[in-house]
Amino acid sequence: MQLNSFMMDIIASELEDAVGRENCSTREIDKLTHSVDYFWLSRMWADRGERMPEADIIVAPKDAKETSAVLKIANYYKIPVTTWGGGGGTQGGAIPVVGGILLDTKRMNKIYDVNTRGMYIECGTGAIYKHIEWAANEKGYATMHYPSSLTCSTVGGFLAHRGIGVSSTKYGKIDDMTLQMEVVLPNGDIIETSPAPKHAAGPDLNQIFIGSEGTLGVMTKAQMRIYEQPEERRFRGFLFHNMTDAFNAGRELLQKFKPSVMRLYDEAETSTLIKKIVGVEKKGAFMNVAYEGPAALVEVEHKILMDIFNKYGAEDLGSEYGEKWWDEKITFFYPGNMMDLPQCFGTMDTIAPYDKIEKIYWEMKKAIETNFPQARFIAHFSHWYEWGCMIYDRFIVDGDKVPKDPHEALRLHQAIWNCGVRTALANGGVVNDHHGVGIKLGRLMKEQYGPAMQVFEGIKKQLDPNGIMNPFKLGL
Amino acid sequence: MLISQKSKEIIDSCRFCWMCRHICPIGNATGQERNNARARMLALSLVEREAEPLSGVADNIYECAMCEACTKECVTGWDPVKVVGEVKLELALNGETPEYVNTMLDNIEKSGNVYGKTAICDALKAAAEKHSAKTDTLFVIGKTAMYNSCTNAKRAIELLEAAGVEFTVLADEPDTGYEMSFLVGAAQETKDVMSKAAEVFSQYKTVVAYDPADAKVMLREYKEWDVGMTAQAKTFTAYVAELIKDGKLNVKKGAKKYTAQDSHWLARSLEETEPIREILSACGEVSEMLLNRRDTMLAGNLIMNEYMPDVMKRVAEDRWINAKNMDTEILVTESPDEYELLSATKPEGIELMTVEEVVLQCL
Repeated sequence: MQLNSFMMDIIASELEDAVGRENCSTREIDKLTHSVDYFWLSRMWADRGERMPEADIIVAPKDAKETSAVLKIANYYKIPVTTWGGGGGTQGGAIPVVGGILLDTKRMNKIYDVNTRGMYIECGTGAIYKHIEWAANEKGYATMHYPSSLTCSTVGGFLAHRGIGVSSTKYGKIDDMTLQMEVVLPNGDIIETSPAPKHAAGPDLNQIFIGSEGTLGVMTKAQMRIYEQPEERRFRGFLFHNMTDAFNAGRELLQKFKPSVMRLYDEAETSTLIKKIVGVEKKGAFMNVAYEGPAALVEVEHKILMDIFNKYGAEDLGSEYGEKWWDEKITFFYPGNMMDLPQCFGTMDTIAPYDKIEKIYWEMKKAIETNFPQARFIAHFSHWYEWGCMIYDRFIVDGDKVPKDPHEALRLHQAIWNCGVRTALANGGVVNDHHGVGIKLGRLMKEQYGPAMQVFEGIKKQLDPNGIMNPFKLGL
Repeated sequence: MLISQKSKEIIDSCRFCWMCRHICPIGNATGQERNNARARMLALSLVEREAEPLSGVADNIYECAMCEACTKECVTGWDPVKVVGEVKLELALNGETPEYVNTMLDNIEKSGNVYGKTAICDALKAAAEKHSAKTDTLFVIGKTAMYNSCTNAKRAIELLEAAGVEFTVLADEPDTGYEMSFLVGAAQETKDVMSKAAEVFSQYKTVVAYDPADAKVMLREYKEWDVGMTAQAKTFTAYVAELIKDGKLNVKKGAKKYTAQDSHWLARSLEETEPIREILSACGEVSEMLLNRRDTMLAGNLIMNEYMPDVMKRVAEDRWINAKNMDTEILVTESPDEYELLSATKPEGIELMTVEEVVLQCL
């Protein structure tokens, strides 16, 4: 519908009635700051002095009840609703591309309970994850969810796109860390998922909403796991002379125990980022492993690690680089260290079993470097499982090779992404590992899922028949 | 905008970086996306690119407490607070400061303080009058305490008396320039106010600033902006810690457990964190909040309380939550702003004291 100024006032007054006038805004500054996230295209657009699509009104409910009232209003008037947590996503998932209501969750930031018997924190999904980490730390525990965006993203943001932290190999992804959630459906109904995450009471409701990127409702409250602080956390850096040995060593290690951190950097990333931040000067593929828990167990794990990695010819670099890496794990992403405009860049993280992952890496590298000779390709492999691991591969095009015209720059960006992700899919990978889909990769979802996509479409149609929730995201 | 090249670099570096979001006391209190350094820098980057008018960001600039938490947090050394200071000046030069700022500036002109107050409480007046004679040491109460925290300022004088220190308190104490610097940055008018104060202060060997905000401008801005002051400026906390160390204040260690609410002006701007701990540990046990020393979180700013009182209330309430989570028994402030705003929101079961109050109790 056309939101003329009269109707806009009518709708705004209803929203103000629902959440309080002070929690609704049509101010330029609020529209502007909710229009640019961490998606390269939105950043490039702003960099070129262009305004991104903006919401008509920003609404900040304080809880599920207020969220429900907002969604009921939105459904009645058939106004799009885009949910915004921290806005730190890379896939454009939080950008209000068709205007309407921008639902900012950050007022839902209450920490209700640090439950050291049930080993979880119950909080509003608008809480910044670092704040729930502080709450855990104050009681002597930890969330063990340490992504680079820990300090800027909300609990709901991580849930929305199935986020992951650097200690995931031992502690899991965000979807492994969630016990129960409260969700507001598009029609305004407030539901709770199963009281325990492991059960035989039908399919897992948590996992329907986790990763749904605001297309199926709004997650408003969650119980997130906490863990004991490890008695010891030990690091070891290694240098592999070829990637095959590194994959074999990693796979074999995972059959024995789960380290917390495992990160393998290809030669290109070792000689650039790792050299700059961690100080490793030698050529090869750097791998950092952290293992933690009771000191006695750590000692046993150390022996297993050294034996296996020695078998595959890994050069032991000691603990220094690993410790440095841990200290600097977020430094990689600060301005000045990270890729930045005017460069064109993207992270095409994908995941596959060990029998496919190395091939995916080489095929993606070849596809990007052959089809886009102006691009560099660097990668690391983090988040390892018993069965496979994730590639965090990036393309970088230097600024002087990026078209000046923003529309042409957008086309180049899209073409590189199409090439990279389609190569991953053709070789057994997935659209994305942990950054989500958003508007960036929605078009490729059908290519991955084929007729399976109708499952998602069916759920969407049932829960959101008016299609108001985060339109054009997730390929829905 | 007529801002420095360095500020332009900061704007373009910070506009897409959220790494300091969690540490912003204002953003944490309001939950507003615009209340973090990246949002502010993004908006300013669009002003720079002429896609947004300067006036559109004015209120947002004044929502920054300039507490430097974001600056301290940035591992690559960017300083969003520097930009805020320069843009405040730019707004003033363009006549685009918000109305509430103009009101406070008018108050400074008419009454000598942002609050527009003229009366000092009788008890403080009387306490100050006893020290009108010229000595080597000048005790500067500051506008904030003078008009908002009378009892505490009087206690501070009593503590110096207990130490047997000879000191002067001026009946017509000059404005340090803190308020002007907070409102319009490095304007010529700010520097003029500071120069007048420095001229008076320079007649003493030592100037002890009761308010950490005043100490901050004396020790930092006066130097950066070439405001000549020959007297040695000291913070009240550091001065009291010295008096204890020198045996001039004979404190007795008790069983009470104190927790410092580090003033960000001292902890971050001046990197002074230990004197308060030396004082508290001389008087009792010391426990810490999770966010302590240079990681301290703002608990309130009385200038901002003039135009965003609801937010200042929430800022103070958030700090009380931090204190409660760590089972704090007695929270001890260094700053009159923080004392007053924490006092107004104090929950049951925790005591709130100033440094001087703690020391007076354990003499």
